[in-house]
Amino acid sequence: MIEDLPPLMGIETEYGIIRENAEDSDPVEESMALLKASDALSVFGAWSYRFENSHQDLRGFRVRSLAQDEEEDEFCEQDRERPYSYHDMKCDRTLSNGARFYNDHTHPEYSTPECNDLFQLVAHDIAGEHIVARAAELRNKALGGPHVQLFKNNTDYVGHSYGTHDNYMVARDVPFESIVSALVSFLVTRQLYAGSGKVGYEGRNESFSGLQLAQRSDFIESILSIETMTQRPIINTRDESHAGKEFRRLHLILGDANMSAYATALKVGATRLALGLVAAGEAPVLELEDPVADVKKISRDLTGRASLRLKSGKTITALEVQEAFCEAAQRCYAGKSEELNWVVSEWARTLSELKHAPEKLADRIDWAIKADLFQGFMEEESLDWDDPWLKSLDLEYHNLDPERGLYRGLEQEGRVLSLFKESEISEAVDNPPQGTRAWIRGNMVRYYTNDIQSIHWTGMKLKDDSVIDLTELTDPDAVEQWMNSNKEQWIWK
Amino acid sequence: MEMNDPKRKEERREAEPDQGDGGPSSPKTERPGRDSILKRMKRVDPKQSERYKQRTGQ
Repeated sequence: MIEDLPPLMGIETEYGIIRENAEDSDPVEESMALLKASDALSVFGAWSYRFENSHQDLRGFRVRSLAQDEEEDEFCEQDRERPYSYHDMKCDRTLSNGARFYNDHTHPEYSTPECNDLFQLVAHDIAGEHIVARAAELRNKALGGPHVQLFKNNTDYVGHSYGTHDNYMVARDVPFESIVSALVSFLVTRQLYAGSGKVGYEGRNESFSGLQLAQRSDFIESILSIETMTQRPIINTRDESHAGKEFRRLHLILGDANMSAYATALKVGATRLALGLVAAGEAPVLELEDPVADVKKISRDLTGRASLRLKSGKTITALEVQEAFCEAAQRCYAGKSEELNWVVSEWARTLSELKHAPEKLADRIDWAIKADLFQGFMEEESLDWDDPWLKSLDLEYHNLDPERGLYRGLEQEGRVLSLFKESEISEAVDNPPQGTRAWIRGNMVRYYTNDIQSIHWTGMKLKDDSVIDLTELTDPDAVEQWMNSNKEQWIWK
Repeated sequence: MEMNDPKRKEERREAEPDQGDGGPSSPKTERPGRDSILKRMKRVDPKQSERYKQRTGQ
């Protein structure tokens, strides 16, 4: 059973950025300046796009181009007039912790190194917050004040969304159709604990007043699609494995950026187990009649009791879908390891608390933290959900500035659950995850910075034209074997 | 990195003796900093989100 679990996972987060002392904050200029300000130990500008393949579809075809809306088309036209090359605007940094920090569609993006341990991954996701915030601190020092602000969220409340993608390495011999038929109901309902909460609504959906479970749900418009900037799907079909031919990378773009480490751990941990259940043929198959509509329906009901129609004609609640997956995961994974025990027990506990005592989630699940915080504030200030102040508070919850961010404030007061010691996050800021190919990448960046000509998830080319190919190093044994075979050549201390 | 290492549990028990269900423990519930977070919230400009314009990402 453990062998069915995805061996590697990663999280990509696009951050919101704004310069407050400029009348029209220019995201291209600000994002470039932020990346240039970063003092993270890294190789700059050497990312190899030769290995990127975002046009290949998992369903067996290749698309000629990816779509974006008219507004973005116009922006891209304007960008072509700027005195910068594509690579200038990307400002790629590959970091000594194995991560990638760069600009993606004008958003500073931190992509964690690929990890084989859940808590290793969550620590690296939080490390990303620290690295981005440090770059903002340096940028603001140069500007003479706290003018540039960074937000770990997914919306600007007027229809522009940017992503937080969770990625899982999945064996290619698991039929894609099996993944779709079982996983869709899991994915549309995991927002019960993975949603980071959003005030109001966006898009062409029916209007809504109040707090939604998730930021991203208004933007999900299809079940399957290779697109990421429009017609966003429940399951993205981009076939870009960054690994050998026996694997695919499941690239999930429907999720939110979580400020709560606990929520991130539960989201990724439960999704990994759901994928293991699919691979083992143990996943509940609860096919929804209209999952795209259900994403929004579930997001607008904080109780988890939204009624969903199955293809069979029966109905089921969002909570019941999650309970079915959680029970299957308990049967298959309880007692297998400490990490798996943590996931199945916290998953069950969260669903139970949502059902019986949702107020208990107010220290660990982002939407519930917001609900508690904002309701108290609304009472204090006699506001209702339509007051614009609520959206501003919602935005500020995600601000990385320790002096301003509301989640940061809650952390400082000890009101939210912390999974890590400061020293563990510092370790992840500087060091790559052990037992992964990212360990090799990160240490090459640290000790051979000036020798690297180009670099990618799957390897690197050195200035003497030699190549280090990490494509097949997907498990700790393979990594150790590689390190033993190369210990005379590369000295990492 | 292990969540359930005994050392970490020990630290949590010392800090929050009233929690005994084996999972991550809740912070204290009396909310000593309630006023402080409220002050921080009151400092948020009500119009801030209206100025926050982003470009579409992935």
